[in-house]
Amino acid sequence: MQNKQGIKFLALGILLVVSFFMSLLFGGSEKINWEAINHNDFIFWEIRFPKTITALVAGATLSLAGLVLQIIFRNPLAGPYVLGISSGASLMVAFSILAGSAFQSMAPVFHGKSFIVMSAIAGSFLVTLLILVVSKRVNSNVVLLLIGLMFSQICGAIQTALEYFADPTSLKSFVVWGMGSLSNTTNADLTGYVPISVLAILALFLFVKPLNALLLGQNYSQNSGINFGKNRFWLILISSVLTGITTAFCGPVAFVGIAVPILSRMLFDTSRQQVHLFSCVLIGGSLLLLADALCHSLISNVALPINMLTTFIGAPLVIYLMFKNKHW
Amino acid sequence: MGTEANIRLSGAALGYSNRKGQVLILENLNLEFFAGEFIAVVGLNGTGKSTLLKSMCGLLPLLEGDVFLDGQNLKSLELNQVASKIAVVLTEKIGGFNLNAFDAVAAGQMPYTNAFHQLKENHLKIINTAIETVGLKKHVHKPIQELSDGLFQKTMIAKALAQQTPTILLDEPSAFLDYASKHELFILLKNLALNENKCILVSSHDLDLVVKYCSKVMVVADKGAAMINASEALKNEAFQKIAGGFI
Repeated sequence: MQNKQGIKFLALGILLVVSFFMSLLFGGSEKINWEAINHNDFIFWEIRFPKTITALVAGATLSLAGLVLQIIFRNPLAGPYVLGISSGASLMVAFSILAGSAFQSMAPVFHGKSFIVMSAIAGSFLVTLLILVVSKRVNSNVVLLLIGLMFSQICGAIQTALEYFADPTSLKSFVVWGMGSLSNTTNADLTGYVPISVLAILALFLFVKPLNALLLGQNYSQNSGINFGKNRFWLILISSVLTGITTAFCGPVAFVGIAVPILSRMLFDTSRQQVHLFSCVLIGGSLLLLADALCHSLISNVALPINMLTTFIGAPLVIYLMFKNKHW
Repeated sequence: MGTEANIRLSGAALGYSNRKGQVLILENLNLEFFAGEFIAVVGLNGTGKSTLLKSMCGLLPLLEGDVFLDGQNLKSLELNQVASKIAVVLTEKIGGFNLNAFDAVAAGQMPYTNAFHQLKENHLKIINTAIETVGLKKHVHKPIQELSDGLFQKTMIAKALAQQTPTILLDEPSAFLDYASKHELFILLKNLALNENKCILVSSHDLDLVVKYCSKVMVVADKGAAMINASEALKNEAFQKIAGGFI
């Protein structure tokens, strides 16, 4: 049992390394040769490298956010989308992009990257805080999920209204952002993106026991000596940082957050969440790295939007899993 | 100390608070429950049996009064301390997320494990003893949602045993069981009270089993609760009222 787990983790580790190099080598319009890397090649170090790191971090953060949300709501189909957290981030980005076009003089501020990043994090925080307030009054997870769904509908409606009044340039830049992209992150962005993500991921490991207890629901958690409300608060906060920061840099990347935890539970038949924390990082990272390599190599000289690919991989997977496994 | 009650309610009023105010369900409760007792909580639907059980283990705050566990006020105890004094088996279902019967029982040791809920040899010993006590050994690797109702109840009782508490509360554990399993369950609980000197409180609608196996009966009616010996239950007016004259 312990041995089997070790072999699976070894395989996942190898998969991650292979995916990492596939993303580096095939994740662009031309193949990179090793000489170029040694010679400080601009395309390699300023475009490919940050994109590959972004794919790895985005895959890990979104998968972990999904895992945490699925446990908190004891619903294997929960994810940053269902709770409206991604929509909150999107709405705030729409606000800042479109505000730039409304107030031309302020455009450099509103269209600045750090402003967009902060808007996205603020948006996911805002929705998360709203959900937290509601969750104090609502005991049922199902009701909470429905409220999350309504939040995302409201965010979507406001966004549509904003897009209607936007000028064509802003509209295009937002729509492109909404498709999700791993290539907007520069090396300078990584100095913020990577440390914050790593800290949030490490923080999750402080919550291994509460995560295991939360699987049993509120009453049994309390009776196991785990403060349900307090731990839920911190876990929702961490997952909203994970979602917010990645949505800010990459746009709303679809289906990774919901599919990877399910895959992890299929691969490792254990309820011990420390195992799934590790495997979600490995599976999620590999998945986005491979998706990035595929995006650039399916059609030569065309970079397909990452969301198209993750949806094409993720959505059928979720449907398939739902039919195949009645429980996970 | 043999005289200290496992649970003592003193002037307790129980119920829920909502935005309109308080909903009083039971009031003026002064009760004591001791080690070695197997107590049934009986009452019509909606009279407050679950409220009583949840209030005694801190899952529901009291409206008034106090609960003492082994002489210590519940309000002054940390969650972890409560978890080591009182284990509860509720009517709610758990399952999914690859949880199997063993994992559920192992969760009983959660108050005693480290931050990673790492199961060391001493933990495993207690968990396996609990599994053997309820006769679950053949089924430990089954996913919880695939267990029959009887095995599920056994799993949750094993979880409560693994929690190593002097007191166990069970909310209608016999509700969905077949006839033989109901009897097995009550015999198991009776033996736990007698052989392991635990204080066991069980709410139930199976009044014939209650009379047959329990040592005491707490009759819940009209916002109050009265404790009688099980041997006198059939002659008790309130008990007969709950039975509707059919016992």
